Amino acid sequence: MTKLSEGAIEALSNGTGGNDAVLQLVNIRKIDGGSGLPRFRVMMSDGLHTLSSFMLSTQLNFMAEENRLAPNCVCILKKHVTNILKDKRRVVIILEMEVIKSAEDVAGRIGEPTPYTEGNKGFNRDFGKKAPSAMPSTPGDNSKVVPIASLNPYQSKWTIRARVTNKSSIRTWSNSRGDGKLFSMEIVDESGEIRVTGFNQEVDKFFSLVEVGKVYYVSKGSLKIANKQYTSVKNDYEMTLNGESSIIPCEDDCDVPVMQCDFVSIGDLENREKDAIVDVIGVCKSVDEVTRLTTKSNREVSKRTLNLMDMSGKLVTVTLWGEEAEKFEASGQPIVAIKGAKLSDFGGRSLSASFSSTLMINPDIPEAYKLRGWYDKEGHAMDGQSLTEVKGSGGGLTNWKTLSDVKTEHLGHGDKADYYTCIATIVYLRKENCLYQACPSQECNKKVVDQHNGMFRCEKCDKEFPNFKYRLILSANIADYADNQWVTCFQESAEAILGQNAAYLGQLKDSNEAAFDEVFQQANFNTFVFRSRVKLETYNDESRIKATVMDVKPVDHKDYSKRLIMNIRKLAAQ
Amino acid sequence: MEGILDVPKPRITCGMLSQYIGRPVCFVGRVEKVHPTGKTFTVSDGEGKIATVELVCVLDEELSGVVEVVGMVSNKGAIMASTYNVLREDKGIPFDLELYAEALKVIHEFPQHYPFEVAASG
Repeated sequence: MTKLSEGAIEALSNGTGGNDAVLQLVNIRKIDGGSGLPRFRVMMSDGLHTLSSFMLSTQLNFMAEENRLAPNCVCILKKHVTNILKDKRRVVIILEMEVIKSAEDVAGRIGEPTPYTEGNKGFNRDFGKKAPSAMPSTPGDNSKVVPIASLNPYQSKWTIRARVTNKSSIRTWSNSRGDGKLFSMEIVDESGEIRVTGFNQEVDKFFSLVEVGKVYYVSKGSLKIANKQYTSVKNDYEMTLNGESSIIPCEDDCDVPVMQCDFVSIGDLENREKDAIVDVIGVCKSVDEVTRLTTKSNREVSKRTLNLMDMSGKLVTVTLWGEEAEKFEASGQPIVAIKGAKLSDFGGRSLSASFSSTLMINPDIPEAYKLRGWYDKEGHAMDGQSLTEVKGSGGGLTNWKTLSDVKTEHLGHGDKADYYTCIATIVYLRKENCLYQACPSQECNKKVVDQHNGMFRCEKCDKEFPNFKYRLILSANIADYADNQWVTCFQESAEAILGQNAAYLGQLKDSNEAAFDEVFQQANFNTFVFRSRVKLETYNDESRIKATVMDVKPVDHKDYSKRLIMNIRKLAAQ
Repeated sequence: MEGILDVPKPRITCGMLSQYIGRPVCFVGRVEKVHPTGKTFTVSDGEGKIATVELVCVLDEELSGVVEVVGMVSNKGAIMASTYNVLREDKGIPFDLELYAEALKVIHEFPQHYPFEVAASG
């Protein structure tokens, strides 16, 4: 009977294991490696203990594929390396191994090994937490574990075993129907992933129990069709926790994959639709300082932008919010992976980490190592081409479009109005009916009714006045190289275009028509930067796009030139 | 001076001077040093390189700032100026020489889109 190296399992597990341990292979499993290559996980025994956290390095895959590594064969572990994962578990990577006795030559299991557990480590998780919920029942009452991919709304008796890859913070809401709170998380197993949400009481029961990176048995959640708008999780269904659901920590979690990500190359982001939810990974080339800003609802929130670059040579700006922004460790150009980031067309293309995105720094996945290797060799010297425009005239949101883009992109067709910026030339100004008589009160701009007795009535103020003030509503046609567009300009923009104020124009119209016409002649064929709002409006069964100019500014040629050069370079690179 | 006003005059930077020897060009740069004789001065382009401009008639005023020079490139890579004009810095937006150099790079990279031709009449 071959002698196994007793005590080797304990040593390897503690990281003190030497080489040339003689071990028996108890079990071998094929795992989908995610990067295309299969990985093999083996359970080895030294006669005293078994340990399942052994991984065959890919160069030894052939041994498994040629069936040399069958259960019960005895091997010498010639070379290995121990990796420590983020959650302190150890995995022994087998770099070189020799089969000294094949499975047929061995009678069976040598000795009576028991699974090696690392002392008390497994139970510390419960310390400092509220009473672990759903306690008495053992994992799923011994119901079999099913794969996540098989979950559907028509079966309720199931248990899954999955790792939490992402957990949101508790969100509260308050509306006319009442208020409540919720949290959501994403869990993954070998078959797939699924999004899980808990409301109100389930938040209290489960939120603090669940930790990202740990594996749990989950059973009796309700399944329904997924709302794909909020998540990039690939599953037709999503789960909601209810009063009968249970979540129990699972000790043996090595089989469950750490993360399911479908990374999009940064260069490809230009081809994706805005508002798409994507996973990205890249080197954090630079990061800005944390800033604070106040939202429309008068809440203060922290914000930080960083630049990610990947092997496509393209750079994209990513915005982090809240705690993630404040906690982000900027040093050393780390590899940053984001699952579920939101793609926006702000500045061209940019990404935002929403409350349901997961941010990982230097994750322990093959893509991260590939990126690190590439960056150290060549990437660090590249400048990278940014998909996000940093400067926009006037700061804040600029969304540069050509007038044909407005039509082809169906701007204004959605529920909300769309805003965009364009450079265009005025080609026609309608001088008829560009002025109206408005209520002279400060705040009121309503059109007044001429009483024909020297008085003017304002319906809104419900008063009569002996006078009025002239206000402008100017209808104009503007054009660029691509298309033309009818727009409406109100007082401020109209005055900027015409170069005269409404009162003076009103006077001219009444007294000196030639001079009045001259103003419009002079204003024609001038080029400006227009910030416009466009919305589909329905009037008597007819829907039409109405464009309103919010702001008019003279062209900043330097800024325009820079943008043109950038666009030319972008086009040339495609 | 005669022929030069009617022909296309490509805009170039110092790096391209050697390719345009014997041809009329348009060069925009910042005046560096004026020779005491007033017959020649040096200019720097948007990339920081220096070129020499030689004049037919002596300068009658102190020259500084950004100038646009039209002339032929000599064998030695200097510009024999037929005419020049100063882009005034006290009026309007100051000329951004680096941005101009960037634009020139684009123009020369895509000659099919930016041909230097005299527009055909009629």
